[in-house]
Formats: sequence, structure tokens, C-alpha cells
Amino acid sequence: MNLFYSKKTLALAGVIMGVIAIILAAAGNPGNMAICTACFIRDTAGALKLHSAEAVQYFRPEIAGIILGSFLIALATKEYRSTAGSSPMIRFILGVIMMIGALVFLGCPLRMLIRMSAGDLNAYVGLAGFAAGVATGALALKKGFSLGRNYETKKAGGYMIPGLMVLLLILSVTTGLMAASEKGPGSLHAPLLVALAAGLVFGAVAQKSRTCFAGSIRDIILLKNFDLITIIGAFFAVMLIYNITAGNFHASFSGQPIAHAQHLWNFLGLYIVGFAAVLAGGCPLRQLILTGQGSSDAGCTFLGMLVGAAVSHNFGLASSAAAAATADTEAVIGGPAAAGKAAVILSIAVLLYIGFVAGQKKAD
Amino acid sequence: MRKKEEKVLVTFYTTAEAMATEKACREAGLEGRLIPIPRELSAGCGFVWCAPPKLQSKIEELLQEKEIAYEEIRIMMV
Repeated sequence: MNLFYSKKTLALAGVIMGVIAIILAAAGNPGNMAICTACFIRDTAGALKLHSAEAVQYFRPEIAGIILGSFLIALATKEYRSTAGSSPMIRFILGVIMMIGALVFLGCPLRMLIRMSAGDLNAYVGLAGFAAGVATGALALKKGFSLGRNYETKKAGGYMIPGLMVLLLILSVTTGLMAASEKGPGSLHAPLLVALAAGLVFGAVAQKSRTCFAGSIRDIILLKNFDLITIIGAFFAVMLIYNITAGNFHASFSGQPIAHAQHLWNFLGLYIVGFAAVLAGGCPLRQLILTGQGSSDAGCTFLGMLVGAAVSHNFGLASSAAAAATADTEAVIGGPAAAGKAAVILSIAVLLYIGFVAGQKKAD
Repeated sequence: MRKKEEKVLVTFYTTAEAMATEKACREAGLEGRLIPIPRELSAGCGFVWCAPPKLQSKIEELLQEKEIAYEEIRIMMV
């Protein structure tokens, strides 16, 4: 029997994920970040030396844990299916674009919610952009968008990325091969076993509950169905209660940790995340879950996100965080530089082409 | 809590086929709606067409006539 079919159990899944985020924040992960999928893939890309931004390099056990948690629960509950063949290169590009958008906003939809729960009003601007992006993707679906069907493939195909994550996790612990930040967000982290256990449980719960930030809004728009948003709502409620009771809630646009108040770019950053997520069939977190349960197509999106993080930092596409002036430094307004703005505009053009031209049936 | 009823469910390989089915059934005046794929059927997050069981043969005929590919048609409680 699948326990995850009632609204109550879906809400419980959101509560569990919220509690995990709180534990991780309390155990040392960066403020308002806790278990941000995009940030942690970015840190992982840095640890692998795919980029050289010194402040954001750390092999996050949470990312390995989420993929492996999904993998193990899918195997245990006979939901593991090794599949592939649905436009893998388009999915790779969608992964790159999702990461560019997330790093312009400074967070994936998961961190957007965490930031919202702490009173960061910039994240509410991001939510508007994310919802608009999902709505645009939903319109493409309405018009017949598809990346084509997937096919069952060799069972071992789906083992590759979970296996790779185990190998990288072992290397990160037992050798000095990986880069690790000495200051900045990458230097802030929960202890290894806490982070790994949290990732495993988070991944397992997200797999069983089908958690997806983009899917929850897509289902409301296309089906008037509120199942998936129940999980997100419960997650947000737990985080909000925690932040208010712990005195972490400060409603403002400025002074928020690792954020900027460039409204247009907060909106557009998450607009392309939402748009790309609907076309790819899931938000960044959902891509990790699908990868774990055997989808090589989602694995391509995950690899795209890793490369997207590297591209964003190597070529200055990622936003800088706003910062107040100190005795030694001037105030920083934060937000994307010209290259980041250009990348967002180009990404929108690519998404419109994929969604309304290349992905339509008449294009074949 | 809503009482479960017996329904005919059509599952698809892609969302585009689900959307095409919704359009075709609407044009043909066949009752039904798209719903998220039941968790008992798949670990995916796609859509299925859900309709009264009495419409099963009409839906099958329509899908063949419109050349809409589908994965499976089955009766289950939803």
C-alpha cells in the first residue's frame, strides 16, 4: 500500500522535510539556505573544481544523500525503473538554464520558500516570477509540447549516477582531492553524518510524496489539483513557525542573508527556473529524485545543473549578494552583472524556442 | 474525505498525449477530466485521463480515430 495518497500524509511529508531543513540550519548550514538544491549543486561543482569561486566549494553530502535516499526507497518499494531516451541533450540544456536562473536569483525554489519563511520579501518577487515561468511552461504543454517518451533500458543505467555519488562521497571524506571553502557559504556546513542522514531521509520522503515545486503550481494551473502544493504549504508553515519562534523572521527587502533586491532579476531568474522545470518535468529537487529512481534523462538534467553552476561562476553569470558598508568595504547593491543579465535574456529565448517550436509535434 | 469510485483511467507516455486526449474528448462531448497519475500506478508525476467506466469503448475508439498513442487503459478505484 502506498501511504502517500492522502492530503494528511502529504502534509506530513512537508512537515518532515521542513524539520530536516531546520535541523540542517541549526547544525551549521548557511542561513536561509539549509538544504537549497541549487546552492548545494553549485558547491558540489566547486568541490569538483568545475569552477574556482573560492567561497562556494564543498562536496555537500546532502546532494548525494537525496539521490541515494530516492534510489534506496525506490528499490525497496519496487518503484525503481531504469529509463532513458527522452531528448537527453535538450534536458541537459534545461538543467544548465535552471542553474543559471537559480544563481541569478540566488536559490532554487526550495530556498525561495526558505527565504520567504524568514521574511525575505525578495523571495516573494521570485515566487511571482517562478509562478509566471510555470504558467508559460504549462501553456507550452497545452499547445502540445513534449520531449518524447522514454524507454526501459538496462537496469544498470539508472545505477550510474547513484554509484558515482557514492564514489565521490567516499573520495570527499577519505582524500584531499576535493576543494573546500575556508570562508563564505561553502565553509558553513553541518557535520558529515548529520548532512548525509538528512539528505537520505529528505530524498526518500520526496520520492514517496512526489514532491515538486514546479509540478505543484503546474497541477493547479492545468488540473485544479492541490495535492502537491499541500506538501509545499506544510513545508513553508513549519519553516515560518520556526523562524518566528526563533526570532529569525525579519520582513524586508534589504539585510537578508545571501540575497539581493534587484526585483526584475529576482523575477526573471526564477521565471526561467519555473519555465525550464515544467519543460524538463520537474524542479531541481525533483530532477535529483527522478535520477535516483532510475531516470537517465533526469540524470542528464542533473549533469546540466552541475555544468550550469560551473558556467555561472566561471563566466560571472551568478549574482552577487547585497552587503552593507563596513569600516573596510563599501556597500554592495548585489544582483547580476551584465553577463548574468544577458544569460537570462538568452535563456528565455532558448526556452521559448524549445517550448513553442522545437518541442511541438509539428516540428518533427 | 471524498468517496472512491470506479473509473476508467488512460495512461500515456507523454503529457502531450494526455493534453490531446482532453481536447479530443471535449470536442466529442465525452465526460471526463485529467488528473495526476495515481501514486499506486507510477512514481512519475504525469497526467491520466479519468472517466466513467461506461465510456471505455468510446474512448478507445476515439483514441484510435485520432491516432493518439496511450500506454494503458484500466479500470480502478480513484
